[in-house]
Amino acid sequence: MAEIEVKSDIAGTVWKIMVAPGAEVAEDDTLVILESMKMEIPVSSPEDGTVKSIALAEGDAVVEGQLVLVLEV
Amino acid sequence: MAFDDLLDDHARRKQTALAMGGEEKLAKRRDQGNLNARERLDVLLDRGSFFESGLFAKGIRPEARHKTPADGKIAGYGRVDGREVAVVSNDFTVVGATSSAINGKKIRHMREVASERGLPLIFLGESAGARMPDRMGAAGRAMLGQDAAEYLRDRKTPWVSALLGDCYGSSTWYACLSDFVVMRKGATLAVASTRVTSVAINQSVEAEDLGGWRLHTGSTGLVDMAVDTDEEALEAVRTFLGYLPSHRGEAPPRVEARPPEDGAADRILDILPDVRNAVYDVRDIVRCVVDADSLFELKARFGKSVVTGLARIDGRSVGILANNPKFKGGAIDVDAMRKAVSFLVLCDSYNIPVVFMVDQPGFLIGIDGEKRWAPGRIMNWMNAISLVTTPKISVIMRKSYGQAYLNMGGGRNSDEVLSWPTADLGFVDPVLGVHMLHKLKREDDPERFDSLVAELKQDSTAYSLAELYETHAVIDPRETRDALTRLLEVHAREGVVGEHKLANWPTSY
Repeated sequence: MAEIEVKSDIAGTVWKIMVAPGAEVAEDDTLVILESMKMEIPVSSPEDGTVKSIALAEGDAVVEGQLVLVLEV
Repeated sequence: MAFDDLLDDHARRKQTALAMGGEEKLAKRRDQGNLNARERLDVLLDRGSFFESGLFAKGIRPEARHKTPADGKIAGYGRVDGREVAVVSNDFTVVGATSSAINGKKIRHMREVASERGLPLIFLGESAGARMPDRMGAAGRAMLGQDAAEYLRDRKTPWVSALLGDCYGSSTWYACLSDFVVMRKGATLAVASTRVTSVAINQSVEAEDLGGWRLHTGSTGLVDMAVDTDEEALEAVRTFLGYLPSHRGEAPPRVEARPPEDGAADRILDILPDVRNAVYDVRDIVRCVVDADSLFELKARFGKSVVTGLARIDGRSVGILANNPKFKGGAIDVDAMRKAVSFLVLCDSYNIPVVFMVDQPGFLIGIDGEKRWAPGRIMNWMNAISLVTTPKISVIMRKSYGQAYLNMGGGRNSDEVLSWPTADLGFVDPVLGVHMLHKLKREDDPERFDSLVAELKQDSTAYSLAELYETHAVIDPRETRDALTRLLEVHAREGVVGEHKLANWPTSY
């Protein structure tokens, strides 16, 4: 099992967290929704895997490159 | 019978050559679940169609001749779905399929026949790089560069690479010159092996970090697609070639039209959000427009705010270049710019009409983009789009802001511009526009702010664009497939090919 750090590729605010630790996700599934550039922009899963831990809470500000969650693949 | 001895000898020699690098090495591959170089040809090519060229070729050094059947690179002609191709399959069990004087001649012959007779060329990559000691010293140098067109990429015919193991040297170079590259997960693509690299930089290097599928599908964009098995990779090669002509002098093959499933047109209206701040995955809309199951996405993990894919409409091959709001809100970043240009090169080189599906808030601006040549790449894209001579049709679905309006086929950059009534044309988002133009924030004077926003929106509709004849038709989104079908009948006339002005463009951006 490898671990992958999923990072935000944009700056914004965490609007909704869609998954919990332990959740199984598929590639391109929405993990977290950010509010940025006046839009709701999802952070999607880069590949199939299981959510190990979540690094953010709803309402947090995030910068580009910030850790969103850790995925086990 | 006459010639018995000669024919027995022939059969024996053939058997020895077909035994490749020996049972021990072949068994090891089987245990790992990987096909060998000849099994790959069996999977790739139509049954019984392979004609081998150079089975009896061997390494040039006398002491290596006994262990270099076919000199490690199996070459020949075969058919894919009934169409002729030339192919080179690297046999890693034979001295790592290293590059040598003789197998270089085999590659050259395949390349020349492919270009001259109009056949796609397929490389099945798995090679260790230059053969030692052949390439050592001045004599080794003198072996190189004897073919001035060795790395010339003029796109007379499609080239495809499958990366099916450790790929260094020729497998890497030809992948980087190819129009489509598929990689089996676990394979690597790099300039030099982990061992050579570790020695050179004096630190240990992991193969996956040096040239694994995540790196090349996500960060470099050098690989179009990653799959789990050899079989899937070879299937992807066949599928890709199905959208392309055998050479640039002919139109792509036309197949029977397969309309999307019932209700697809209506579903567009469910997928498209009715509020401007919500996003969606544009691939869901593309699938409602193109022939059923025909979207073949390229570089899906790279520059995701743009989707590039081959597809069919009414049985004709088309290239879909779409903005994807699901990633970065559709804002076009540097990777997406590189991806778009490489796709335009593909479409222009092989007579594939381009369909732009537009919903973008502009280029992603910021320091990172500027550092990575964003302005230069935006103009590179404009230069490319200006040189495309295959039909270009754009569909403005929602937003098309800023300079990117032109990059996505706005104005005379497309032959035809269609707009949906949901189109929103302007330089920036109206809310930002009012802020910039009038230096007004909503909290200062909400009533005036809202009326200015409404005013700016009014001027940005599809109908405003239609009055100026900058969009040729405003259509119900549900009519998109029919409109594109009809316009392709007008613009993609049978037997007409483009001028391929992008055929000599670079292969990496």
